[in-house]
Parts: sequence; structure tokens; C-alpha cells
Amino acid sequence: MSNNIVSKFLNWMKSAAGFSITATIVIAVLASIASGPYLLVNTIVTGGMLALVATGLTLMLGVLNIAMFAHGEFFMIGSLTAYYVFTPISNYIGENPESFIAVIGPLIAMAGAAIVGAISGIVAEKLVFGPLRKRSTDNWVMNSFLLTVGLSMLLINLHQLIFGADFKGIVGYWTGMPVSIADVFISRDRAMAFVIAVIVVSLFWFFMTYTRTGMAIRAVSQDITGAQIVGIDIEKIVLLTISLACALSAVAGGSLLFMYPSYPTVGLEPLYLAWFVVILSGLGNILGAVAGAFMVALLKVITVEYIGAGWDFVVPSALIMLILIFKPSGIFGSDVRGALDK
Amino acid sequence: MDNTITSQQMNPFDKLLDKLCLTPVGLLGLVLLFALPYIPPFNQEYMLRWLIYCGFIAAMSVGFDLTAGYISIVNFGYAAVSGFGGYTSALLVINMGLSPWLAMAAGGITAGFMGLIIGMISLRLRGIFAACLSWFFGLAIMGLATKMVWLTRGPLGLRTPRLFETDSNAPFYFLMVILLFLIYLACKLIVRSKMGLAFQAIGQNMDAARASGINPVYYRVFNFTVSCAIAGILGGFYAHFYGILTPDVMHTSKTVEVLAVAYIGGRGSLWGGAVIAFPFIFIMEIVRSTLSNLPGLNLVIYSLVLILVMIYYPGGFSYFYDTHIRKPKNKVLRYFLNGRK
Amino acid sequence: MLLEVKNLDAGYGYLQILRSVSLNIDKGEYVCIVGPNGAGKSTTMKTIAGLISPMGGGIIFNGEDITGLSASQITKKGISFVSEEMNLFVNMSVRENLYMGAYIIKDKKIQNERLDFVFSLFPRLAERKDQLAGTMSGGERKMLAIGRGMMSDPKLLLVDEPSFGLAPQLVANVFESLDVLKDQGVTIMLVEQNVTKTLAVTDRGYILENGKIGLQGASCDLADDPHVRKVFLGV
Repeated sequence: MSNNIVSKFLNWMKSAAGFSITATIVIAVLASIASGPYLLVNTIVTGGMLALVATGLTLMLGVLNIAMFAHGEFFMIGSLTAYYVFTPISNYIGENPESFIAVIGPLIAMAGAAIVGAISGIVAEKLVFGPLRKRSTDNWVMNSFLLTVGLSMLLINLHQLIFGADFKGIVGYWTGMPVSIADVFISRDRAMAFVIAVIVVSLFWFFMTYTRTGMAIRAVSQDITGAQIVGIDIEKIVLLTISLACALSAVAGGSLLFMYPSYPTVGLEPLYLAWFVVILSGLGNILGAVAGAFMVALLKVITVEYIGAGWDFVVPSALIMLILIFKPSGIFGSDVRGALDK
Repeated sequence: MDNTITSQQMNPFDKLLDKLCLTPVGLLGLVLLFALPYIPPFNQEYMLRWLIYCGFIAAMSVGFDLTAGYISIVNFGYAAVSGFGGYTSALLVINMGLSPWLAMAAGGITAGFMGLIIGMISLRLRGIFAACLSWFFGLAIMGLATKMVWLTRGPLGLRTPRLFETDSNAPFYFLMVILLFLIYLACKLIVRSKMGLAFQAIGQNMDAARASGINPVYYRVFNFTVSCAIAGILGGFYAHFYGILTPDVMHTSKTVEVLAVAYIGGRGSLWGGAVIAFPFIFIMEIVRSTLSNLPGLNLVIYSLVLILVMIYYPGGFSYFYDTHIRKPKNKVLRYFLNGRK
Repeated sequence: MLLEVKNLDAGYGYLQILRSVSLNIDKGEYVCIVGPNGAGKSTTMKTIAGLISPMGGGIIFNGEDITGLSASQITKKGISFVSEEMNLFVNMSVRENLYMGAYIIKDKKIQNERLDFVFSLFPRLAERKDQLAGTMSGGERKMLAIGRGMMSDPKLLLVDEPSFGLAPQLVANVFESLDVLKDQGVTIMLVEQNVTKTLAVTDRGYILENGKIGLQGASCDLADDPHVRKVFLGV
């Protein structure tokens, strides 16, 4: 019996997925032994948030067949909402530091970000994607992609026009001493950001795997005609998916506000990192996206640590290009729907 | 239709026009572009600067459309490749003392080489992933340009000598219009030849094209190379016109600007983007400069137009022109719009 | 009458394929539509299932006008469609696929009852309930598709070309399973190219040619009809 598990594990290790996950863990551990545990902490916090953005992206790609270029802008919407919700709350906290608002205030801001993100996703579907879908679905992937390019540009510049181009940030969500875990000090905000990411991603995963609606979303992404045949209302699922995806991205933006202040193009970095994750992990694979998010985060953190800040544009993109060239369906991707030209 | 007979019947003027891939209205437009610096209010220097920028975007959109419109792949790293050509050209002038003219050509060649690489590595990928790959490629080059401060001075900007030793913008403007026309002509001649058919076959259905004996490897890579070489030459022009080069020219938003013009103008027409760029970019510049208290308004309008066109009129301006304007009843007018064909 | 199709016109885009097709099915019947390639058999099925919206005519199911309803609404009315391409969810397990088949049933208990029923029909599926649908053989996938169609406890089961792309042995299996369903009292409408076999097992048949109903009648009569014999059976 145990022999069986061992051999299964060894086989898994030989697959691209097993190998890369193991390699990631090993590299992460080695790097943090060499340069200090903060590396691991950074990786985990960035990875957790990236997982939120990337799962949304992979969902959009799988269910709606939209290669989302404007996903970073929903991150931006999230951070902007959190800023405007949290600023009055933090003033209140400043006057009454002992009130319970100090504890749940940041959560209110993040919930606000999620709600506004979901609503703006629905608005985008109703005003932009829906009309295109009604008019024509010829060449859908490319046309919808171009629409998202326009949408991204629109949202960035609306932000600049209405709220200005300055950095709108906060000092921090939770005040107080940093949390210490095994001699490593982590600021409360970072710890909470990670916890929130874990909770949201696992709730989301549970939703997608076990609930009727989550299964319907997966069914639509695998075979849209099949989904219609079994009685799934496609329009409802589309709306739900887009609002979920945008809310995930917005939550990431909201809970990272202490690291990334809100400004018009704040979404660009999460966007391309999330795209790295999607390419790395293959399409429509939620668990793969989560694992890929931590890999990309590690790659970024290590690049910044050992090669220098700014190079995180270069090294990860070069690596992702290599993956696209040699394993176009991604590390965890099945060959059912690959990146290859049909 | 037998082409030889019709071309014998054509008079020399029409023949020349046909060789230059122009219709009479196109020729008129070109003449108008040449005359524009003498017509007030366009004879002011700042307006000429805007017009040069219009011409730059117009020419970029022509080169971009060669890939996007014919083999249906959006080269999302187009601005980056262009900037790469610009940097090559600028560095050759500064460090090797090459003449800016030669350096521009060298910029074109190196950018074409970049295109060759992008074409090769994106060969097996589906449209959207090829777009992603070229995007990542662009991000990587832009990252390099930002970080190799010892070479490019990074975000501080690289001072480059200008092409003409004069304060006037007029020579630059004329050069831009000539470049625009030459680029249009080169692309048009390519797509008119047998190659153009092969491009369209590949763009519509890769497998069917392969089955009918078209080698997609060759044509796709060739297309990328030419299109990127054009971007490189234009990048060189950009560098030696503005006299300063920052990694911002490689930014994705620049590609988006070109893409928007190309698609609003009409995908797969080549001339659509070039025609639409002048009024469109010009108006955007007016909006930007007169409403400078509302930063970003021009780009909001820009993106709204792109979204509306993509939803309600994906054929763009060229499709509108072809279906509604091109076939008037009047014979003279028809000749004017279509040439003798 | 369970299903009544009256003067149905349908097609793709501007291309009209069906011209004034009328047919009907009574409860408990096993009816087939046969005809040459491109006659519009699959189009008929897809139009009834709501995947194609009709250009004209009407469809009445169980006394209710269902013309122009969406596919999901029609499934909720009690028509289940097993398409030629099967349209399985390839990255889901057999069990998940079957549960999705019962999507319109919200009660988990009834879902499980249906699952047991389908597993009793196709014990093979029960053996492989955790396997991904995409990794199964052609015959097993066909079974899964039919099983999924049964999960919603349909009043009418539309089956499109179940023998398509299958080895003869597997074709026999599929027909056997349809027989079992018929014995259970399920109303079935079958589209097939395998004319001999189909006319041998069904009660009644329609011959579809060039988008029109050519002949109709009891299957045994059709099998003896000289025109049918000449065109389809080559004798």
C-alpha cells in the first residue's frame, strides 16, 4: 500500500508539474537559507495575491474565451475603491484607536473593493462584451481581446481624468507590532494579505469543485454546447464568471493597497505577472494557476534579490517565452486546449 | 479579366498610378500632405510637429497592419521593436559616429532581425498566444533598455543628434511623408504579389494553407521580418527627430496607440490606418493641448472610439469606404475614387 | 401527443436546410429519422433541442409551445439531447459529467437516484466513475453521453447518430442500451445513417430527403418500401 503511494509520488515527480513544483519549493527554501527568510515571506505574499488575479484571468479565458488585457485595471479599481473606503475609516480609527473598527475596517475596505470590482465586471459585460457577442462571434478571440485592450486604455485614462495621476496610498491597514513566526518578523498587513489570499483562493476552489454553480462554470468552459444541452443558462454563467473574475482581481488590489498605492497604471504589473502565470500553468486550470502564481512570484522575488530591481521585467519574461516555445500548453495544462495553432 | 489588355489600354498616367498603388484620390491626398505645411494654420511649427507625429503613427500602423491584417497576428511588441531600432540607430551615431541616415537603415535591419526571431519563436502558436509572446518579448526588450543604463542612460533619456541641422520642422515633415508613402508602397507591393495571397491564406486557415502547398514558416517569418524592419526604420526616424530617446517609446501603450489607429482605419487595408491617423491623431493632439487641465481626456476618447468601432463596425473606416463611398454612379467620380482598373 | 413539429423551417445563417418539416411522437414511442447525408437530420434534432432557432413553423411539446426557446429552457421542459459530437465535459470525471446531466434537478437525493439508475443501465460507467471523460474510448463516451442525457429524467430523448465513428461491436452495444431504455418506457427519437439496423429496431420512421419529409410510416413497412430499398439499401 505505502509502496504504491511512493511509486505514485515518484511518477508525479517525473511529470512536468511535479518536477517544477518540487524545484520551486527547493529553490525557495535554498534562497531563504542563503539570504534570509524575508524572501520566502515576500514570495508567499506576492504569490497569494497573484493567485487571485491569475485565477480570475484563467477563468475569463476558459469560460468566456476572452483573453483579458484589462484585468489589471480591475486590480486598479479594487485598490482605488479600498483607498476611498479606507481613508475615512482610518481617520475614524485615528480618533478612536480602541474601537473594533480598527480590526474590521480594512476588511470593509476589501469587501468594498470586491463588490465594486464585481459590479464593474458586470457593467463591462453588459456594455462591452455583450454587444459584441450579440453582433457577431466570428473571430471572437481576437476581437474581444482588442476590446479588452480598449477597455484597459479607457479605465486607465478615466482614472487619470477623474482621480488624477498621483499616488493614492495608505500607511497601513492594521497597526501594531509585526507578527513574529520563528524569528521572522512579518508586518501585520503582509500576514493578513496572505491570510486573505489563502481564504479567498480556497473558498473559490471549493466553490468551483464542489458546488453546482461552480461545476456549471467549469462545464461551460469545457464544452459550451454540452452545457446548453444539460440545461445550463449560459448568459447567467457568463455574468457570474465575469463578476467573480473581476472581484478576485479587485480584492487583490484592495488588500495590497499598503504595498501598491493606487495610480492609473498600477494594474500593468499584476496583469503581466498574471499572464505569465496563465501561460505557465496552462488554460482553465485553477489549482495550476495557484501553483503557477507562487512560481512566478518566486521568480520575481529571486530576480529582484540576486540580479537587481527592474530586471524582473526581463528575466521572467525571457523564461516564460522559453516555456511558450518548448511547452506551449503550459506545465499543468492538458493538451485538450493548448496554445498551439490548430 | 485579362490584365495585359487593360494595361495596354491604360494611358501612361494611369499606368504610373497603378505602379505606385495609388488611386487618383490617393494621389490627391498625397499632394495635399505635401502642400499642408504651406497652408495656414498648418504652417506653424507646433502644428507641424503634431503632423509629423500623425505621420509617424500612420506609418507605424501601415507596418503593423501587414501582420495584423494579413496573417491575423497582433504583434503586441511592435512599439518595443520600433524602439529597439531607434536605440540601435541612436547608439550607432553616438558611439560609432555613423551618419544618422545610415544608422536609420541599420536600425531597420536590426529590428528586422528581431522580427525574424519573434516570427520564428511564435511560429507554432495560436493567434492570441503569439500576441502574448511578442508582448513578453517587447516587455523584455523594454526592461533591458531601462536597465542597461551604461549604454542607454535608461529613463534619463539618450540625447541623439537630429537628422537635419535646423530648427525648422518642415524637412522632417517632408521626410516623414516620403517615408510613409514608401512604406505603404513596399507593403502594398508585397501584398499585391503572390505573397499577399499566401499571407491571407495563412491568416484565415493555417492548416488549409499548409495543405495547399504554402509553407507557413517562410511566409510568417518573412512577414514579421518586413513589418518589424519598418518599425525599426521609423524608430530611427523618431530618435533622430525628437533628439531624445527614453524607454517609454517601447511601452505597451504606444503599441496600443498604433493598434487603435490601424483597427479604426480598417484591418487588412494598409491605407486605412494611414488615412485615419492624420485627422484622428491631430484632433487628439488638439484636445490634449487645449484641454490640458483634463489630462487623459484625449486617450479616453481614443479608447472609446476603439471600443465602439470594434463592437459596431469591426471593418473600420476602409470597410465603410469600400461599401458606401467607393461605388458612385457618376463615371468621373468613380474613376477618381478607383483609378482605371 | 408528446411532441408535434409543424412546418418547421430552419438552417444556418442564410442557408435554409429544413423546409416545412412536420413530424410527431406519441408517448412511449421509438421513432427514427433516416435519410442520406446532408438531408437535415441533425439540423432537425438541433432545432428541436433549441441549439438552432427555427426560421418558421412551430414545435409543441407536451401541449406547450416551445418554439424559439433557448436550449437550456427546452432541457428544463423535459427534452434531452444526445448530440453526435457527444459534447462531454472532457476534463471532468464520469460521475461529474453525469451529475451535470442532472443539472436541472436541484434535489441531491433525486440526483443520486438518477445516478444509480444510469449506473444500473450502464454498469461499465459505474466501473469507471472516477475516470476523466476525455480519456475514455469512443464506445464508453457514447454510453456516457446517453447516460448523461438520461440523468435529467427526460420525457423525450433525442439521440443523434449514436453509431457514428464506432466499431460494429460497439454499435450493437449502443443499440442494445437504447432498447433497454425503450423497455423502461422512455420516448426516444433516433437519427441514424445505418438504415437497415435502425428500421429493424424502431416502431415508426420518417425519411428525410433534401430537408423535406419524403415518406413516413411503420418501420417494417418502410424497410419493405421499394423506394427506400432502392435509395438506402441499394437493393
